[in-house]
Amino acid sequence: MHLNPETKLRIIWIQGVTCNANIHSFLNLPSLPSLLDNLDMVYHPSLTSLHTLEEITLLETSCDVLIFEGAYDPLLKRNDVLVKNILKHYSLNAKYVIALGSCASFGGIFKASAPERNSGLIFNEKEEFGPLLDSKAKVINLSGCPIHPEWLSYTLNMIINKREVPLDNLYRPLELYSNLAHHGCTRNEYFEWKIDTKGFGKKEGCMFYEQGCRGPMTHASCNKILWNEVSSKTRVGTPCFGCTEPDFPRSNLYSTKTNMSIPQDVPLGVPKRTYLTMTGMAKTFSIKRLEGKLIDYETTD
Amino acid sequence: MARVTKEERKSIIVLSALKLFSQKGFYMTTIPDIAKYVGMSVGSFYNYFTSKDLLAKELVIFISEYLGKRIREINEEKISTEEKISKIVSMYFTMAEEKPEMIEYFLRVYLSNREIFGKECKGMICVSSFVTEMMIFFDEGVECGELHNQDFFSAFGLFMGYLGGMVFLHGEEILPGSLDEYKKDISENIFNALKSRN
Amino acid sequence: MITKQLIDQIEGEASVYFDMKNEKVNFSTIAFPHFRGIENILKGKNALDALVITPRVCGICGHAHLMSSVRAIEDAYKNAGYEVHLSKKAKKIREFTLVMEIIQNHLKWVYMVLIPELSKLRNSNEENYTLKGAYGARLATKAISLLGGQWPHSSYMVPGGVTSDPTYIEILQAQSILKDLIQFFEKESLGVNLDEFLTYKTPKEISVGEADVSKIEEHLIELGMQEKGLAYDRFIMLGDHLFINPIKMKQTRPFSVDIKHVSTVESYSPNEKTYARNAMYKDDYYEVGSLSRMMSLQIPLIKNIHRRYKDSAYSRVIARIYELAHLMKHANELLSTISISENSCNKPISIEKVTASGIGIVEAPRGPLIHKVDIENGIINKYEIITPTQWNIGSSTKDKLTPVQKTMFGHTKAEALFIFRTFDVCSVCTTH
Repeated sequence: MHLNPETKLRIIWIQGVTCNANIHSFLNLPSLPSLLDNLDMVYHPSLTSLHTLEEITLLETSCDVLIFEGAYDPLLKRNDVLVKNILKHYSLNAKYVIALGSCASFGGIFKASAPERNSGLIFNEKEEFGPLLDSKAKVINLSGCPIHPEWLSYTLNMIINKREVPLDNLYRPLELYSNLAHHGCTRNEYFEWKIDTKGFGKKEGCMFYEQGCRGPMTHASCNKILWNEVSSKTRVGTPCFGCTEPDFPRSNLYSTKTNMSIPQDVPLGVPKRTYLTMTGMAKTFSIKRLEGKLIDYETTD
Repeated sequence: MARVTKEERKSIIVLSALKLFSQKGFYMTTIPDIAKYVGMSVGSFYNYFTSKDLLAKELVIFISEYLGKRIREINEEKISTEEKISKIVSMYFTMAEEKPEMIEYFLRVYLSNREIFGKECKGMICVSSFVTEMMIFFDEGVECGELHNQDFFSAFGLFMGYLGGMVFLHGEEILPGSLDEYKKDISENIFNALKSRN
Repeated sequence: MITKQLIDQIEGEASVYFDMKNEKVNFSTIAFPHFRGIENILKGKNALDALVITPRVCGICGHAHLMSSVRAIEDAYKNAGYEVHLSKKAKKIREFTLVMEIIQNHLKWVYMVLIPELSKLRNSNEENYTLKGAYGARLATKAISLLGGQWPHSSYMVPGGVTSDPTYIEILQAQSILKDLIQFFEKESLGVNLDEFLTYKTPKEISVGEADVSKIEEHLIELGMQEKGLAYDRFIMLGDHLFINPIKMKQTRPFSVDIKHVSTVESYSPNEKTYARNAMYKDDYYEVGSLSRMMSLQIPLIKNIHRRYKDSAYSRVIARIYELAHLMKHANELLSTISISENSCNKPISIEKVTASGIGIVEAPRGPLIHKVDIENGIINKYEIITPTQWNIGSSTKDKLTPVQKTMFGHTKAEALFIFRTFDVCSVCTTH
């Protein structure tokens, strides 16, 4: 769908303290060519854009949507210009500011580069704080480390189509972040019957109880909108690290924190007593089918 | 005389059964014995419990819920873990003194006759109310830093095995003093064994 | 007079300070302005957390960091007396995903950096090829995620192997995607069959036709790049893989290498603070990356090009393109020889029992990537990362120029900037 040049969305994509993964994730978008057709890329760190970094730091132009990737560091400079000032200037006239990735949303991994001053745009971990707090009404947080390209595509297309994007209390689009990473995981049955996987490298078993999987506590559509169109962490036996949440990164990421063998965190919204009662019940029964391998290559040869 | 509800009637049967089991023994007590004691016909009795095994299971759940409810009340108090231990021990020993038929049933019938309970009470399902509350107790104790983090069963076995053992000895009339006299020392021993090691 | 030139689109930025004489570069220094302190962030953390944090050094080569990190931890296990053994399946899966990441990197470099830069230097207005690079990269990363879960930023390599336990479904899907990628590469970039391209012995064969690579070759000759951008003609490779082994070369003579001779020194950047350090081997500078790797493999085409044009910018570019073809073929071979029934992960002893140091080295897209870790009872005491760009794009004093400084000397500023980019620079990796 081609829009007139006058109605194309003017985008400026700037960076704070970042690793650039959100850019590379975005490049994986299958519909990238057609999305770019509907955008006026005023500035982008890698894609062809109307202006160079030198020009954009002169702070003489404006955009409709400002995309900010990376943690906010008030002392950071790009081309000798404070990112603080670049952000301030372009966010003023922008209709929307997208905090792209967990670093821009909550501080993420690079908050730790300078913990006393780094944060997200409107949140410092889960506390409301940041350079754009006064204009938080125009901010959309797309948390994730990195984001999935379809999440950015969805948000930009909603804006292009002049639709209001419903947000949750952490300013993340409800339609993307209402599911849990747990929804759609191929190991769900093992979760239901409390069959833990001992160690890594097996198709069978749930990683929630011992391997640190944060799936049931993490808002993300990773097992609904698959990664790179085909996969997800949990589908290949890697635990979810909860990267869309304000407390990412946690510690001891590959193991579940337990108190006397009881998981410290239980699925979102489920009272601990309820969870323990259900678990106790499920653990009592041993389901033969679920105890063996799904496919036994040895015997089928 | 006000009409007794079905639930209340069920309760009466349960308490009466416990009393009779404690007096005459589990195997020696029959359904007709219990029905007679409660003042109902055997036929009516079967409306509530279709077999002795199911009654046996129901009693375990009843005791578990009774204990669970009291431990939950203690869990929800804003006191230290050390004080909670003291209160749980106190509650358990008081129950053993005032309602011996309940703890007796648990130790001497439930734990000792697995062949009756094997099918209907697999694993810990029948005692889940009680076990869940103990899990909450341990979870919160470690979370607030007062208990040492370790395997659940190691801790649970220490706590409950100890209490159960003392009540058993009391039941055999081996203890020179009343259970009351042991509360303080036992609470301290349990806390010292489970407390944080930092 | 010293002029500053900002260079961006190198996964971040850098500033090159030119000291010109008669419109030619007399001396140059490079500053990398951004620092995130990842080595510091890792201190005090559980060693396994490095598998999640180190990929965040870089968005385009995070996978290489993951592999370097897991190798460092496995080396620590070995030094603690608990050697970890990987199955052949785990080794091949790891290598496959690593190689596919190199492929996506090179495709992006060709179409998003090289072609636009060539066009700029030639003052021509070429069509925009950026999306071709993104398309090819998307296919390559799709193949990665079938086995690694996602790209960017997967953490599917753990001590003992990999977390994934694929069936032939994933293997066949990956083979099919790779086939599509190869066909795309043949049609758009090479203009000929992959196997035929790999048999080429002379540059003349490359220049035939209208495909993207032929045009690139033609334009490089037009700009005289076969005589420009020479460094020390010294190469080093440190990663140990099925497709490459550690070796160093002076021109065409091979020598063995030992990691203990690798060191880093402070960069020389008088005009601006830089957070980068120069990587050296036995106090000398060496070039790393595609040209180094293809030289060590004694590829006839590369040997021929090197005989004529040494380590010129032309050689550097052609070698990277050749490596694309070479690795696509290698990736295919890896997939077809993976044995599904082997163990994916041989569980080692708990990390808490490990108190030892370890080194993990991997050939990342731009050259050797080194991770060094000191672990005490499973906790990281110290972590050091040395990245490929630290080898190529160091900044030193006149008496001992780094590879990039040497290549830029004596050329116009425009040419120097082009030559700079032929190294495929990564700013975020350099300073980490």
